[in-house]
Amino acid sequence: MKKYVSAKNMVVALAVAFAMIFPHLGFKAYYLHIAVLSLLNILLALGLNLIAGYAGQLSLAQAAFFGIGAYVSALLMLNFQLSFWLAAPVAALCSGLVAITIGVPTLRLKGPYFVIATMGFGEIVRQIFLNWQTVTRGPNGLTGIPAPNPISLGFVRLTFESRVENYYLILVVLLLVLVLYYNLVHSRVGRALRAIRNDYIATQVLGIHVAFYRILAFAGGAALSGLTGAFYAGYIRFVSPDTFTTGESINILIMMVIGGMGTIIGPIIGAVFSHLSAGDDARFPPNIVWLSMAC
Amino acid sequence: MVQEFVQQVVNGLVLGSTYTLIALGLTMIYGILGIVNWAHSELYMLGAFVGVFFVVHMQLPFLVGLILAMIVMAGFGMAMDLLVFRPLRSAPEINMIIGTLGISIFLVQAAVIVFSPNPVRFPTEFSEAYLSFMGISLTLQRLMVFCVTLVLIGFLNYFIKHTLIGKAMRACEQNKDAARLMGIDINHVSLVTCAIGAALAAAAGTLVGPIFLVSPQMGLATISKVFAVVILGGMGNVPGAIWAAFILGLAESLTAGFFSSYYKDVVTFCILITVLIIKPAGLFGRSQIEKV
Repeated sequence: MKKYVSAKNMVVALAVAFAMIFPHLGFKAYYLHIAVLSLLNILLALGLNLIAGYAGQLSLAQAAFFGIGAYVSALLMLNFQLSFWLAAPVAALCSGLVAITIGVPTLRLKGPYFVIATMGFGEIVRQIFLNWQTVTRGPNGLTGIPAPNPISLGFVRLTFESRVENYYLILVVLLLVLVLYYNLVHSRVGRALRAIRNDYIATQVLGIHVAFYRILAFAGGAALSGLTGAFYAGYIRFVSPDTFTTGESINILIMMVIGGMGTIIGPIIGAVFSHLSAGDDARFPPNIVWLSMAC
Repeated sequence: MVQEFVQQVVNGLVLGSTYTLIALGLTMIYGILGIVNWAHSELYMLGAFVGVFFVVHMQLPFLVGLILAMIVMAGFGMAMDLLVFRPLRSAPEINMIIGTLGISIFLVQAAVIVFSPNPVRFPTEFSEAYLSFMGISLTLQRLMVFCVTLVLIGFLNYFIKHTLIGKAMRACEQNKDAARLMGIDINHVSLVTCAIGAALAAAAGTLVGPIFLVSPQMGLATISKVFAVVILGGMGNVPGAIWAAFILGLAESLTAGFFSSYYKDVVTFCILITVLIIKPAGLFGRSQIEKV
C-alpha cells in the first residue's frame, strides 16, 4: 500500500513537473494554444464531474455556466473597467448563484428529466446571449476584452498578455483547484455525494440532506465553470454565443466520461486526450472514436 | 389581426404535426424499452434525405416517396435497435444517455460527409400549389403535413389498440417482467417499436423537408423541442405527446407572430421548465410513487 502511494505521488510530481516545463520544450505556438485549451477544458470537466460523477446527476448546462462566467467577467471589465482579479470571482459567484436558482426546483428531478431540464436551461441562456443585443452585442460577440491585469510583486511585475504567461496562470489556477477538489472529495461532503449517487433513498434514511448536497455540488461545479469562463475570456479576449452551445456541453461530458467519471484523474486524462486527438476545432469526428471506446 | 391570428394557428398546427410525428416514436421507445433516445431526431433528418432521394432524384410521386422513405427508415430503426439498444437495455441510465448521444453525433457527422453540410432544397409537386380562402393562404404541402399526420395517428391508434403485437406493446409498457412471463418476446416488441418510431420520424422529415430546407443539422435543431413535447405529455404517454405537440407548436408560432420570433425558443423552454417544476410527470401524466 505504501509503495503504491509513493508511486502515485511520483507520477503526480512528474506530471506537474512536465506541465511546468512544457512551454520551454520548443513546441510550436499552436501546440501551446492547444495546451491552454486543454487546461481550461480540464477545469470544465472537473466542474461537471462534481455534479455528474460524484452526485450522479448528469447536467447539460455546463456550457451555459461557462458562458455566464465568460460574459459576466467580460462585461464587468469592458463596461465598468473592473480589475480582472475582481471580475473573475464575481463571474464565478454569478454562475454559482444562477445554478442555485435553477437547481433548487430542478434537482428534484431524476435521470433523463434532469438532463433535459438542464439542456433546456442551456438553450435559454444561449438564446439570451444571442438576442439581448444591447448588452451582449448578439451574434457579433464581445471584442476587445482586456487581458488579466498585471500583478506587481515588488521585485517582479507579472503580466498576462502572452500565451506562455496565460498558460502558467491557468496552470496555477488548475493546481489550486485540484488541491481544493481533492480535499473536498475526500471530506464529509465528498462522502455524502458518493452515497447519494449510489443510493439516494438509503442516504436519505441515514439522515443526510440529499437536496442540500446536490445543490451544493451543482453550484460548486457551476462556479468552477464560471471561473473557467472568466479565464477563457481573459485568454481568448473574445466571447460569442457560438462557444456556449449544447454541443460544447456534450464535449465536456465526453471528456469526463472518456477519462472515467467520479474520479479526479479522469477529467484530466479525458480533456488532454480528446485535445491531442481532436486538435482545436475539428472537435467531433475524432471524439467518435473515443466515445465508442467509452461505451 | 384575425387573419394574422388564423395564419399563425395554421403554422402552429403544421409545426405541431411535425413535433407529433417525431415525439410519438421517442415517447414509445421510452415507454416500452425504457431508453431515452437522443438520436431520434437524426432519424427525422435521415428520413428527409431519403425522401429527397426518392422524390427529387428518382422523380417518384411525393406520396410514393413518403411511403418508401418510411419503409427504408423502419429498416434503419430496426438496425439501430439490434446494434445499439439491445446491448444498452440493461445498462445504467447514464450509459444509455451517452450511447445514444454518441449515435446522434455519429449520424450528423456521417450525413455531413455523405450529403455535404449545405442545406438542400426539396421541391415537390405540392410545394408550389396554393390554397387560399378568406385572405388566408397556405401551400398544399402544409395542408398535407397536417392531414398525413392525422392519418398516421389513426393508423397507429388502430395498430396499438387492435392488433396482437399492439397488445404486446401495451403489456410491455405496463410491466415488462409480467409481459415476459406471459410469453411475450421482448426483443420482437422492441424491434417493432423502433421500426414504427423511425418510420414516423422519417414521415415527419419527408413532410416538412419541402417547407423548410433539408440539412444535416435539422435534427439537432429539433431534438430539444421534441424532448419538451415528450416531457409535457408525460414520458411514455402517447396521447399526451400528441396534445403536447400541438400545444407547443401553437405556443411557438403565436409567440413568433405576436411577441418576438427571437424569443420563441425561450418561451418553449420556459414552458418546459415550469412544467417540470410544477408537475414533473407531465401535463397528462399520473405521478408515480417510487417503491423501494
